[in-house]
Amino acid sequence: MSLVAERVSVELAGRRIVEDASFSLARGEVVGLLGPNGAGKSTLMRAIAGHLPHSGSASLDGADLATLSALERARLVAHLPQARVIAWPLSVRNVVGLGRMPWRSFARGFSENDRAICAEAMELMDVGDLADRPATELSGGEQARVLIARAVAQDTPVLIADEPASGLDPAHQMTMMAALRRLATKDRAILVSLHDLTLAARWCDRVVLMRDGRIAADGPPAAILTPECLQSVFGIVAHIDHDRGGMILAPTGLTGDTPP
Amino acid sequence: MSQSRLNLLLCLLVLALFLASMLIGPARLGPLDSLRALVAGGDEATMIIMREIRLPRAILALAVGFGLGLCGAVLQGFLRNPLAEPGIIGVSAAASFGAVLVFYSGLAGAAFYALPAGALAGAALSVVILLAIAARHGSTLTLILSGVALTSLAGALTSLVLNLSPNPFASYEIIFWLLGSVKDRSMNDVWIALPLMLAGWALLVFSGRALDAFSLGEEAAAGLGVDMRRTRLLVIAGVALSVGAGTAVTGAIGFVGLVVPHLVRPLTDRMPGSLLLPSGLGGAALLLAADIAVRIIVPGKELNVGVVTALIGAPFFLWLIVRSRREIF
Amino acid sequence: MAGGGRAHLFSPAGRRWPRSGRTRERHPAFRNRFAALATLALLALPAHAGEAPARVMSLNVCTDQLAMLLAKPGQLVSVSELAGDPSLSFLHEKAAAYPRNAGTAEEVFLARPDAVVTGTFSLHNTTALLRRLGFRVEEFSFEQTLDTIPREIRRMGGILGAGDRAEEIASRFETELKNVEASLCGPSPTAIAYDQNGIALGSGTLADSVMRAAGLRNLAAELGYAGMAPFPLELLVVHRPDIVILREPLTEAPALADQITRHPALRALKTSHVGAYVPPGSWACGAPAVLDAVRALRAVREEAAPCGKAPSG
Repeated sequence: MSLVAERVSVELAGRRIVEDASFSLARGEVVGLLGPNGAGKSTLMRAIAGHLPHSGSASLDGADLATLSALERARLVAHLPQARVIAWPLSVRNVVGLGRMPWRSFARGFSENDRAICAEAMELMDVGDLADRPATELSGGEQARVLIARAVAQDTPVLIADEPASGLDPAHQMTMMAALRRLATKDRAILVSLHDLTLAARWCDRVVLMRDGRIAADGPPAAILTPECLQSVFGIVAHIDHDRGGMILAPTGLTGDTPP
Repeated sequence: MSQSRLNLLLCLLVLALFLASMLIGPARLGPLDSLRALVAGGDEATMIIMREIRLPRAILALAVGFGLGLCGAVLQGFLRNPLAEPGIIGVSAAASFGAVLVFYSGLAGAAFYALPAGALAGAALSVVILLAIAARHGSTLTLILSGVALTSLAGALTSLVLNLSPNPFASYEIIFWLLGSVKDRSMNDVWIALPLMLAGWALLVFSGRALDAFSLGEEAAAGLGVDMRRTRLLVIAGVALSVGAGTAVTGAIGFVGLVVPHLVRPLTDRMPGSLLLPSGLGGAALLLAADIAVRIIVPGKELNVGVVTALIGAPFFLWLIVRSRREIF
Repeated sequence: MAGGGRAHLFSPAGRRWPRSGRTRERHPAFRNRFAALATLALLALPAHAGEAPARVMSLNVCTDQLAMLLAKPGQLVSVSELAGDPSLSFLHEKAAAYPRNAGTAEEVFLARPDAVVTGTFSLHNTTALLRRLGFRVEEFSFEQTLDTIPREIRRMGGILGAGDRAEEIASRFETELKNVEASLCGPSPTAIAYDQNGIALGSGTLADSVMRAAGLRNLAAELGYAGMAPFPLELLVVHRPDIVILREPLTEAPALADQITRHPALRALKTSHVGAYVPPGSWACGAPAVLDAVRALRAVREEAAPCGKAPSG
């Protein structure tokens, strides 16, 4: 047992965005967070990562994350926000190196260990060759990989990644999911929000489905991603198939007749 | 170029310009005599000129320049915005207004630190307003427009206070408050401003690490363990102290904080944190050089030093806007 | 007094040509000018010369000084606003008895004086406009020295029909000035008149002639500074004049302009006499009060370099 969210609710500007969300995330597990736009996925992730005031609790191995300092939290949970911001033409190496910030004391340089962890994270995300390039000059997909390498370099037991696969080409989408799986085998818990249903079904151990701020379903992909569920949560019809690697979900149409 | 080598070179440049500033003036003193008088005493007139007239001038140019360069680098890093600068976003103008209010109402005579306190309050208020408007969802455009509004408002209020003063000289002094000068300042001004500026710099240098994390956005920075409230307070207090205390004794000097970070950034690894010291040193060098220029360009009829920095900075500002037009709109 | 001024503005002379029917013009200046021209077309021009003007208006603080000195009771209709400023107007107490004007043509037009006295370098537009409107305007140049003052006193006497009194004041001025100059002794100490913002009063100024009359050498003039000129503080320190004549702050309201007179560099000049020695307003205008300035500087000079001894520095 690792990360446990209990009855987490978030209110923003008087609106309930997340309501009573409870779920858990064990070490060694990749959990996909799915749901239509506006379902509250990002808000829930930000609340757990400690960026938003919320009711309920998110705790790691029994310690309430909200009571920790920002620094203590940063050593336990790495959060990759959805917005990909790289403000200055920093080198890829420096961007990834920022992930080591919670572990370095003030005004101390990088240790050998820091360098090794960064190099490993860059290898994992296939950006090692780009190390000396200014990150702002890379393509969107390359930047996405650099930024997740930064989160990986933070070397935390929990990694929360908000839509890390959007904008990646199919090969790199799979490379990235494979990398996350590999990280999970190193005793980490990974929560990743995704829009690609097939990607979620084939690479996640478990999926948590959100709709209107609430958790609608939680379980193994095969059990959750049923036609009924896709219809009620996403409002779509999908062609569902299986092969050796797992499920294939191809959305084919919208459900429900829009009344005239 | 390595970081320490860059800083060393900039230090040498600042030192050279500081010496030049000490050696240039209407009284044509021999360089060796004047330096001897400065350090060891000697001829009364030379000593007074060096210690009471040129030294405060050079110290203020160095310190105010350092503060402006540093604040420019901090604000650009904090707001992730290449056009951020105390002058452009209205902090200097607000500090000027605060100082003017305190000075011309006579409060400045009442207490030693009343004058910088007024300027500090003005600067702090403007930074708070700007952060409220522009830091969260701020596009460059929002920030610049807020700055234009704040600058105009503070400038208008400054004119108002000066025009309402019964002292006929007051209304001419708007030039000083809007364009700045380090001419004929005294060591009193140094003692008023320098301790506060030093405190401000310490706070700002302390924020450097957080600024590195801000390169990836506020949320990512928070996720890297940056205490957002603390950082915001450091930046507000640090900028208010540096810009406020400086403006209280030299008026508002523009564009130093804009130009310098852009000039030195390519020489660094571009991390906002590693830009702080070089920007401060660069700002000191620029303001010292500009203050030497005003003494040389029109001898006997000195320009305000802000005229020179604006002549350098405003075209640079335009060039930056043209270059980053797509990002702004 | 203010009431008197207001009453005057609404005197029958002002009401004789009501502006009704024309007041719809939007721009007040235009409206007034238009009304003035219309009025003038109908009026006979005020009589010139011959007998002394019964009602005189002074628009300049320096003509105020002479006019207040020489006008008969009731003759001086109003004086300039600055006449009440102690730092510029030596007779500011006397000025309290007169209504003030801001020096605008509109006020002159409404008051309809028989003559207007003003300075040459102030309010050029007003002077030209008033002349076009047919007013008698007498201008006084204030590029003056001690020598020109008696002439100006006599001229003002002539204008106001107070020639005898003017002659008396002017000749007393000449005598006293001669007496002061006759008592000069020894080599002259150097001095500088150092005003707000570090402005020195150089050659050609009234202050320059006052300093010379008091037996002082004007450092600024000797270094080639003419008129009111910015004088670098450094040069002042280098030349270390024996006497630094500062000017009192104009008002209690603070201004940066006063800071230089309190600069530590001035206080550090050990061998110099530094202070605001000249009575406020006494040498702002060419008027008999200038002698007070001469006497005050004589006293400082005596202190800095007593007769019979060589001046220090």
